[in-house]
Amino acid sequence: MSKRREHKIIGLRSTLLSIALFLFFILLSQQFDPYNQSQLANIATLLIAVLSITLLTGASGQISLGQGAIMAVGGYGSALLVTRLGFSMWISFILAIFISALFGLFLGLAAARLSGPYLAGTTLVMALAIPSIAVRFESFFSGDVGLSVDYGMPPVWLTNLVGEISIEEWSLYVVLPFTAAALFAVLNLSNTRTGRTWRAVRDNEVSAALSGINIQRTKVIVFVCASGLAGLAGALYGFRGLVAPSVYPTDLSLTLLTAAVIGGLRSIGGAIFGTFAIVFLPDLIEKITKNLAIPETIGNYLPALTIGTLLLLTVILNPRGAAGALEHIRHRKKH
Amino acid sequence: MNLRKPLILTVVASALVGSLAISSVSASAVSDPGVSASEIVLGMQLPQTGAASPGYNKVDDAARAYFDYVNSKGGVYGRNIKLAVKDDTYKAGLTISSASKLINEDKIFAFFGSIGTQTHVSVIKDINRRKIPDIFVNSGYSGFYTDPKKYPTTFGGLGTYTVEAKILGKYLKEKYADKKIGVLYQSDDFGRNALAGFATAGLKFEAKKTSASFVAGTQGSIGLASQLSQLKENGVEIVIIAAVSSATAVAYATAAQLGYKPSKWAVISVGADATTFQTILGAKGVPAATSAAMLAGTISASHAPAPGEADDEFVKAFKKINDDFNKGPDKRWDNNVMQGMNIAYLATEALLGVGKDLTRAKLIAYLENNGSKLSSAAFAPLGYSKTTHEAFTGFWIGQYDATTLLAPIDGKRVVYTTDSGSGAVTVSNYKRPAIAADALPKVA
Repeated sequence: MSKRREHKIIGLRSTLLSIALFLFFILLSQQFDPYNQSQLANIATLLIAVLSITLLTGASGQISLGQGAIMAVGGYGSALLVTRLGFSMWISFILAIFISALFGLFLGLAAARLSGPYLAGTTLVMALAIPSIAVRFESFFSGDVGLSVDYGMPPVWLTNLVGEISIEEWSLYVVLPFTAAALFAVLNLSNTRTGRTWRAVRDNEVSAALSGINIQRTKVIVFVCASGLAGLAGALYGFRGLVAPSVYPTDLSLTLLTAAVIGGLRSIGGAIFGTFAIVFLPDLIEKITKNLAIPETIGNYLPALTIGTLLLLTVILNPRGAAGALEHIRHRKKH
Repeated sequence: MNLRKPLILTVVASALVGSLAISSVSASAVSDPGVSASEIVLGMQLPQTGAASPGYNKVDDAARAYFDYVNSKGGVYGRNIKLAVKDDTYKAGLTISSASKLINEDKIFAFFGSIGTQTHVSVIKDINRRKIPDIFVNSGYSGFYTDPKKYPTTFGGLGTYTVEAKILGKYLKEKYADKKIGVLYQSDDFGRNALAGFATAGLKFEAKKTSASFVAGTQGSIGLASQLSQLKENGVEIVIIAAVSSATAVAYATAAQLGYKPSKWAVISVGADATTFQTILGAKGVPAATSAAMLAGTISASHAPAPGEADDEFVKAFKKINDDFNKGPDKRWDNNVMQGMNIAYLATEALLGVGKDLTRAKLIAYLENNGSKLSSAAFAPLGYSKTTHEAFTGFWIGQYDATTLLAPIDGKRVVYTTDSGSGAVTVSNYKRPAIAADALPKVA
């Protein structure tokens, strides 16, 4: 197959899958009440951040415990553009990608020299430090109180077109095009020469270097791409109502990593499944605890306990996550 | 990455996970949501777990206990009051999600008694644009209440931090004119609002010397050693704390470890609950007698009677209801339980005042027009009007004794009143109406 033909097929497939995801969310939202529509918007937002981990850790083997902090960079970038400089929300989302990608460039330059626990430690420190920066430069970042921003009300032209829609549904419509675009980008990156280069670096740096791949540069590029995605997710996440340190706590980074691991670090489908799991499992557990009349002293801790247990079980019994398990079942059926 | 079939399959699997969590969509209501012939649903957001939860996680159970008592007496015009509660762990990201859940799944009529300044900031705009009443908010941040045009549906449930700080600051400045006074505050609107009040009272602090701040929520993990060392090194003799209860306890414990003994502590009321203080220190292995001794002599303020005032008629009535109806995991009688009961009493009074034809708009109008006439356990009236939605406009100043009772200074309770602006601090002449024998509010 010629290169051009291969790219065409990959491009077409990525486009179709992104459109399918877009339509899937839209169709699903029609079955949902407004609360679950807002949860779908949450999934669509967090999925972009989880995809950044799929790229960073799954495709290139670099561990980050600080994607939540990069989300904060995107969130603050877009909120400052809107509140201080009067930019439109849409433009600010696009610019948030570049702001966080630039941040990722500097981070990547340092990260390219690190690996394993050293890299994990560095990114974790970043997750802890970013909120403190917002508080330290309080007059600029508004400290703990943060910057109040939101998606606004659904525009009149849309309500004229499709009828009255809830604020929650509108938030989904705002987020979804960005999610589809992010999926398209990740699918393309993963299945072309770039993705293969990243995987070569992940699997064996020495072999990759012997094949002529510039290891340092490749790692920096991955960091830039992943940070751009995380920054976009952070901007969309902040516009739910507030950009503040308490919106991007350290455990947000760990939650994103959990979603990626449960779903399967190396799988985009796994990222989708993992994101659904971390967003909807707490609701499901709350429903069960309510029905079983479990006291709040236990019930309040159950979601974190369940997700934590699921993470441990995944790591111990099924390190390739849900996507890996699915692959295994398919493989057994074939043979 | 192999993407094709697994991707489609996982999308379907994801849909299944999502579908499991979906509740059936209820039929659309004809009146305001959350009100039916038999029920009024209120919703509260608070930290039930996490660093900021100690003490505050009792407010919901206390309020529910009072509502259950009201329900046992026939409810409000035959409607039972139901309280739906969501734990936001004091993180704004969760506050946003849980507000949507209360609005869309629990179908609440109004937000009631939500706790936390920095968390409430994240949802107040959305609540107001949806025209949902947001009543008796457990935050003293004046920015929520002093401009009703900005937040027309939000009404306070605590005196503002500015009012309290002005009253406390005036007392400290006059009483300890010869001492070096410093402040430890959490760096959010709560802390800054209190600082503004102290400044109006003439108390000025020097950054990095007599003024130390910390990020709310970090007191448990990072601690407050550097802040207290700073105050110690700068010779601060009177330490004012404007922070949540858990931070107060950490500050006292840290000061003890550092060998720092200020001649006086003064704590803003929401951070000065004795039971919470002793519980947190107890978990760190400090015996109750020791923690009581640490708290003794601390100056604080209150708008209501101290929970230890056993002869106060409101304390007696609320305590009995707490004993009989509170089903929470920790029903020990303290400031938090008292506050939960008191705002539930006020909410019941307001709902009765609106009448049988209850709507969101009518509740807001009622509170604006009649809120200042509502009575409660507080020794100061609510400040509600069309121009401000501030709650209790007065405080009395007390000092903790060896039994952890906040007793009025010099044995005589004097209630001071002021506004959240630059108005003077004066003595209040408000006389608190008595509570009815059945402990239910009466409205004309």
